[in-house]
Amino acid sequence: MKAVMLGVVAGFVGGLFGVGGGIIVVPALVLFFHIAQYEASATSVAVIVASSAAALASFAGDGAVDWNAAALIFIGAGSGAALGTRYMQSIPERFLTRTIAVVMIVAAIRLAT
Amino acid sequence: MEVLWLVILGLVAGAVGATLGVGGGLFIVPALVVFFSLDQHVAQGTSLAVILPTAVIGTVGHARRGRVKWSMALPIAGGGLLGALLGSRLALALSGDTLRMLFAVLLTILAIRMFARSLRPPPSKTPSDI
Repeated sequence: MKAVMLGVVAGFVGGLFGVGGGIIVVPALVLFFHIAQYEASATSVAVIVASSAAALASFAGDGAVDWNAAALIFIGAGSGAALGTRYMQSIPERFLTRTIAVVMIVAAIRLAT
Repeated sequence: MEVLWLVILGLVAGAVGATLGVGGGLFIVPALVVFFSLDQHVAQGTSLAVILPTAVIGTVGHARRGRVKWSMALPIAGGGLLGALLGSRLALALSGDTLRMLFAVLLTILAIRMFARSLRPPPSKTPSDI
């Protein structure tokens, strides 16, 4: 089934890089499965539960998880998400997107050197 | 001090993730490597440890509002489980240096994609006159 294949690809990327995989699932759901954006986002989050759990199990098995750091980041992320949704609406999306893109390039350079 | 900075990292990642829908993991991993001197593997594993509970909470919220298409979510998640096991095993087999380079490539590709998308004219919010 195409859906399963999508999952394998997204899960693979997520597991390989330690990220969610939503960057693959959401556009694919919208473009190829013709699902509404908000439904695609919600469905993607549900998928990420499964794939991140599996990937985490692998990393944890190798001792490659800093649980204390994760807990602290998680605490911040909860408030961050709430604050972000409330206050970041006023920032023009294009500015945000471009700033983030620049940050990502800088991060890539820092990682590569 | 470091405790505070980790919470702040979470704040930023959470805010950006919630607003733009760009995954928090994409910021958490490089930040942990660059600013907290974590090993690339540990940074990725730690990121996953943040992503999982965040995703669980998010799913509960979305599910309550009936937004999740379970008919799609379940098969994709099934594939996701398998894919994640394969991907993570590969990541753990690769050297930290190689993985870090690959991550840098991923960031670059996504950044270019984001920038390209931002160049497209936004959909007009008001109907053009007649």
